Amino acid sequence: MSLESLLSVSIDFDTSHTVFPTITAVVLGILLVAILATRGRTILATVGSLPWWPAKIDHMRFFGTLVGTVLYFIAMPWVGDFYPNTGLGFYICSIPYLFAMSVLYLHQRDKRHLMIAGLNAVIAPSVVWYLLSELFNISLP
Amino acid sequence: MDFLSILTPFFFTLVASGTVIGIIFGAIPGMTATMAVAVCLPLTYSLGLENGLALLLGLYVGGISGGLVPAILLNIPGTPSSIATTFDGYPMTQKGEGERALRIAVISSFIGGIISLAALYFFAPALADFAIKFSYVEKFLIIFFALTVMAALSSNMLVGIFSGVLGIFLSLIGAYDISRGGNGELRLVPEFLEYYLESGFSLLPVLIGIFGLATILIEAEDGMKDGKDLSSIKIGKGKRFDFSVFKGQFVNLIRSSGIGTFVGILPGVGGSAASILAYSQQKNFSKNPERFGKGEPSGIMASESANNGLTGGALVPLLSLGIPGDSTTAILIGAFTLQGIQVGPLFIGNNPVTWDAMIIAMLAANIVMLLVMIFAIRYIAKVVMIPKNILFPIILMMCVVGAYTINYGVMFDVWTLLIFGLFGYFAHKIGLEIAPFIIGFILGPSAEIYFVKSIESFGTLSIFFTKSWIAVLLWVLIGLSVWFSITIARKKKKDLVQNGQ
Repeated sequence: MSLESLLSVSIDFDTSHTVFPTITAVVLGILLVAILATRGRTILATVGSLPWWPAKIDHMRFFGTLVGTVLYFIAMPWVGDFYPNTGLGFYICSIPYLFAMSVLYLHQRDKRHLMIAGLNAVIAPSVVWYLLSELFNISLP
Repeated sequence: MDFLSILTPFFFTLVASGTVIGIIFGAIPGMTATMAVAVCLPLTYSLGLENGLALLLGLYVGGISGGLVPAILLNIPGTPSSIATTFDGYPMTQKGEGERALRIAVISSFIGGIISLAALYFFAPALADFAIKFSYVEKFLIIFFALTVMAALSSNMLVGIFSGVLGIFLSLIGAYDISRGGNGELRLVPEFLEYYLESGFSLLPVLIGIFGLATILIEAEDGMKDGKDLSSIKIGKGKRFDFSVFKGQFVNLIRSSGIGTFVGILPGVGGSAASILAYSQQKNFSKNPERFGKGEPSGIMASESANNGLTGGALVPLLSLGIPGDSTTAILIGAFTLQGIQVGPLFIGNNPVTWDAMIIAMLAANIVMLLVMIFAIRYIAKVVMIPKNILFPIILMMCVVGAYTINYGVMFDVWTLLIFGLFGYFAHKIGLEIAPFIIGFILGPSAEIYFVKSIESFGTLSIFFTKSWIAVLLWVLIGLSVWFSITIARKKKKDLVQNGQ
């Protein structure tokens, strides 16, 4: 068998969408094996010596960000359905979200800092909503 | 459209605003030029291509430059590309020469920016003219070469390649694009997501997730600590700035700007590599290497001219080949996509007005950066003190706006933002390389079309080696980049063993 015939390939158009993903998946698999073979011990040693995630992270701020963000994403279209094509879903939900996040990230929760957080939570979404939704007619949730 | 009709006061206002906002983003540790461009991209929807690019290029130049402020004053690089600026900048601040160091850095940044702009202006059209002749075979090999270069310059070659290929794999999710010659069949999509993922994950929510949300999650897990207090630092107490410090630094500035531009041209290699390389070269060539790390102005000049040299360099492969030079220029692709323009070898020839407007915008952004940072440096320095609890929630909100509006109101894009925000966070945790991943994600669909169509046309894999002399040359370059990475890895290993002994 000649080298030319070894290298010859024909691709059926109907199944051509699977050719590149298959090659890429195989290459990914080979690379993963190569990484484990060359760095497996180092990886195991590092994993073994480190505290398991999510130990030693700021749980309140990290998971607070995640939960707050998921709730924000769920609430926006829901509220937006009551006021279609106005961007109010975004506006109404952004105010409590910004306030909650600002307070969550605060280290000193005194009256002054809470007031600044409150002002920020009202002003920033108002400006963004007005600029994008009202002035530029860009669709918001 | 007439070129001069684009250069309106509004155009220059956008450049100036972009530059100032970019400087602020760059000056705040944890926020980068990439984040600035990603977050502000939705603002360009209604601006048109040239005006939108004016804003984004201003953000890019400003964002890269702003990183020098905390690098010098707080010993924290505001952006990764300012890492080498900390080596001599902070010691100068400790000696009371902070303002002097800032001015040296700003002027060096300007020189680096202008030299790289000249390289962009003369080099990109020539490279594009050459690349027009490329067939699918050469185009595929160019992408392959880009990925090997990225992998070669990653901290670990295998992980770099893995990240790039993972980016390609995820970019293939969805239908095999009919408009580019595919058969329109879906692949890699679970049945319940077929409706949402027919066109795959949108690029911008992916980018905003990785550079916006992931950064905030990383900061959140660290407790959102605010920066050091600047009030105790006296930035202008010691020796005053004057231009005589640049005497004898011509070669340093040209070499460092050249290094920055060259590194920028290499796809996926960030500014940190440019500034460290230029810094180490200046140290090697210096008559007084012992002064480096103790407040040597020429070290700041090397680092800052190199990282701003990156700005023009990174646009060369983007505008001539359609391959982004770094993460920020990868996001600029989104701005072109929004306006229905494809970047590649035909871009400059087909869009001469946009091309000229980009050059003018870059030039104006560099001038604005110089003026703002020279005359308002004391106020800019205070930016590093803006509390994160105010800024980051706004960034989160802007991330959502950007993701939602990219396809004119698709909520799934907002969820994509969250998915890739989490991906970016865990990628950071396990050490995946983000730059190769992003460039793999952007170039994956093109790589697929070029590869499959080459095989469909010629029916043999040997065509990738025999199509033309360019293909052979590209294989030589691919071989060299692999050889380079193996040599570097061996050297590192040897050094480690020696240090261990």
